[in-house]
Amino acid sequence: MTFVVKGQKDRHRVVFKRRAMASLGARGASSSASNLVDSALHGNTRLQPSSAEASAQAGDEVVDSIFRPPIFPTMSARTARASMVPDLFTSLPPIRDLLNTQSSQIQEETIQECLPFLSGLEPGATYNDHGVPHLERNRHIQFLHKSLKKLPAPYVAADASRPWMFYWALAGLSTLGEDISQYREPLISTVRPIQNATGGFGGGNGQMSHLAPTYGIVLALAIVGGEEALDLIDRRAMWKWLAALKQPDGGFQVCVGGEEDIRGAYCAAVIITLLDLPVELPRDSPAWSGEGATLLTGLAEWVRRCQTFEGGFSGLPDAEAHGAYAFCALACLCILGDPHVMIPKYIDVPRLISWLSARQYAPEAGFSGRTNKLVDGCYSHWVGGCWPILEACLDGPSRILAVGASPRAATHSVGSLYSREGLIRYILCCCQDRTKRGGLRDKPSHSSDSYHTCYVLAGLSSAQHKWHFNTAETKTEMGGNLASPYQWTCEPFDGEVQIYNEEDRVGTLHPVFVIPEGAAEQTRAYFASKGGF
Amino acid sequence: MGKYEGDPEWDDVVPIPQDDGEGALAQIAYTDEYAEAMGYLRAVMAAKEHSERVLDLTEHIISMNAAHYTVWLYRASTIFALNADVEQELSWVNDVALDNQKNYQIWHHRQLLVDHLYPSISSDPNAIRKFAESEVDFMTQMFDEDAKNYHVWSYRQYLVRKLNLFTEAELKSIETLLRIDVRNNSAWSHRFYVVFSDPKYSTPGSHATEYDPKIPDEIIDREIEFSKAATFEAPQNQSPWNYLRGVLRKGGRKLSSQECFAGEFVKIPENGEEDIRSSHALDFLADVWAEEGKVEKADEALRLLGDKYDRIRKNYWDWRRGTLKEEGITKGLAKVELAH
Repeated sequence: MTFVVKGQKDRHRVVFKRRAMASLGARGASSSASNLVDSALHGNTRLQPSSAEASAQAGDEVVDSIFRPPIFPTMSARTARASMVPDLFTSLPPIRDLLNTQSSQIQEETIQECLPFLSGLEPGATYNDHGVPHLERNRHIQFLHKSLKKLPAPYVAADASRPWMFYWALAGLSTLGEDISQYREPLISTVRPIQNATGGFGGGNGQMSHLAPTYGIVLALAIVGGEEALDLIDRRAMWKWLAALKQPDGGFQVCVGGEEDIRGAYCAAVIITLLDLPVELPRDSPAWSGEGATLLTGLAEWVRRCQTFEGGFSGLPDAEAHGAYAFCALACLCILGDPHVMIPKYIDVPRLISWLSARQYAPEAGFSGRTNKLVDGCYSHWVGGCWPILEACLDGPSRILAVGASPRAATHSVGSLYSREGLIRYILCCCQDRTKRGGLRDKPSHSSDSYHTCYVLAGLSSAQHKWHFNTAETKTEMGGNLASPYQWTCEPFDGEVQIYNEEDRVGTLHPVFVIPEGAAEQTRAYFASKGGF
Repeated sequence: MGKYEGDPEWDDVVPIPQDDGEGALAQIAYTDEYAEAMGYLRAVMAAKEHSERVLDLTEHIISMNAAHYTVWLYRASTIFALNADVEQELSWVNDVALDNQKNYQIWHHRQLLVDHLYPSISSDPNAIRKFAESEVDFMTQMFDEDAKNYHVWSYRQYLVRKLNLFTEAELKSIETLLRIDVRNNSAWSHRFYVVFSDPKYSTPGSHATEYDPKIPDEIIDREIEFSKAATFEAPQNQSPWNYLRGVLRKGGRKLSSQECFAGEFVKIPENGEEDIRSSHALDFLADVWAEEGKVEKADEALRLLGDKYDRIRKNYWDWRRGTLKEEGITKGLAKVELAH
């Protein structure tokens, strides 16, 4: 069936509704009291997912209640909560096809899975005035600390990707405001035996060097910072190893003899710029094509080849557009140059924005990774993280007028191109494991893990902040190759009604490196100050 | 006593224990079996040994952890060094792949095997056809589990390139998958690749988002019809809409050439309630009308999307409305300049 959809005016009515609810609250049905009401009504039994029809009807009842004084001072908690949430997040999409296929079936199931969480019907949870639960900060912190402790045998499947776990945990903990200095020493002694004399890091001791764990370790070391941590990286060997990975077509293999893909392109670019490596290519590189050939030759063109007819990016040329690869592509281009220069030069921007925007679904409100696939919390970063870069691309560079002043866009800002409110709702309502376990997840039916915890938090961070790409003054300070990614600054985003409590704002993460603001700048400055290896 | 420690065949090897560093973070409590096998692997790798027993050892480790790229790469180099039977290896890899759906490494391993095998069959069209059929059969088995498996599809694109499978059979095989689920976007993507990268007629290196003047008109027409037929089955399925836009771009045709088709799903009367059966049709028409300079109509379509039919993307639709006005102003100014 289709639903009658109310237009934009409803949006304003929703705001009005909240005020109505606040006054209602004084009579005993406030959101803080709703927990009591909930247990009185439902005991401890788990609520069955409500049908969307029920939620939609609940919303309608409340619309009525604005115009008529409430007759019952204790309206059901269920109605009270649903009323705080705009119907966009509690009702089925306005247009649905009758044809049933596997894709539509699991999409339908996902909507039904998310609706109770989005509608404020999760048992035992407390909600703010917008029907949004708190960030369970302490539980997520404990979850990430635990992920760095000794892991049981089934984690053997992560034996070749374990360095990611250092990065996910440290980036996540920093985002949550946790002091991670206690991990500096253990991280140093952990990663030292993972480095190979031939350059780069593997997945563990004795494993071949691979760009993914090398990326994870370099970022983890940048997060903990300090001379000892940074100096353990053998930069000369790293440079030679990268040269061995560079391919004649411009891209990078992920390891010697391994696959060539866009992760390789992004990870290599991150490593080259953060470690301030020379870009010259030694003659023994498979990509050496004559004097003047560098590690960067043809890289942007290679990235461009990954844009698909849909507008998104694939992991390698000719494959399907996928959210994770869109971030790799954009972030890579933003290392090679300024976003407003590089992005329009190498990619079809309108098609990309169209595809990226189509990743956000309602009512779930989170992002999916591909057309006709399901929402997943990790795309809060992979897709969500594309927006600050694209917004900066469209805005053009900002100018910092005075030290400490906020940057001013050269022209009028495009504002937000996606629904920050939607993403924040999906994250806080659907992605949190709010039990003792803590951590963040793909969707309510999935278990939390450190990968999702890191990238869901990264998405929350970018939705809560506004990034500016600033004019070149900072670049000249930085000097050297690939100085563009050090020109970003940010401020809290205040463009719309804030649906989360201020205490649930998380820290900032650099839009290109995805590590705490300042860590990339310090790392680069440290290596630049060394001058050569 | 461990499996290898007590095996006389391995008597000559001194395993190298793993150095995890002191107080290592996220240290994995390996089973004794895995720890021992890895110790022997480090030892044979250090000695650059490529032998039958290395194949057994790597098979053993992969059975415990299939996501170990080092083990896979070392196994591949051992197979090539020994000139071992590649087809036998492929059939073993099939079983591993079916048990490890999300694994990355298997597919690269498979590519290395095919690269190695190819020269021996490249001059025999029958052998190539037979090999292609058995590979497609295996992928069909994989798609039964997950028809959108990214690694399988990437491998498929590699195979099409390697074996020159820009064929009718390949298109038919995609159509079979689309008949099962017309929303399978991976299949749509693959079709785009097979149709528009066909070396028989396409421009080498033509980007997916650009016009390729060498694509014959009848191919463009055929693909337009293909996407339209699929759209009628489920108008709110975005895959064929994206495909249609991609085809029109490749063919250098205007979106407005499909105005009537998109109009099938959108009725906006002068008075009364509109009837929208596909938000993607409305999006398409907004671009058609912008292309035709009908700014007000385009703006109204975008307004409807943002306020009613695709509200989660309101900011995007509003941004499009903004660019519409900017373009309108630029066009208007151009007219004024011309008038003077």
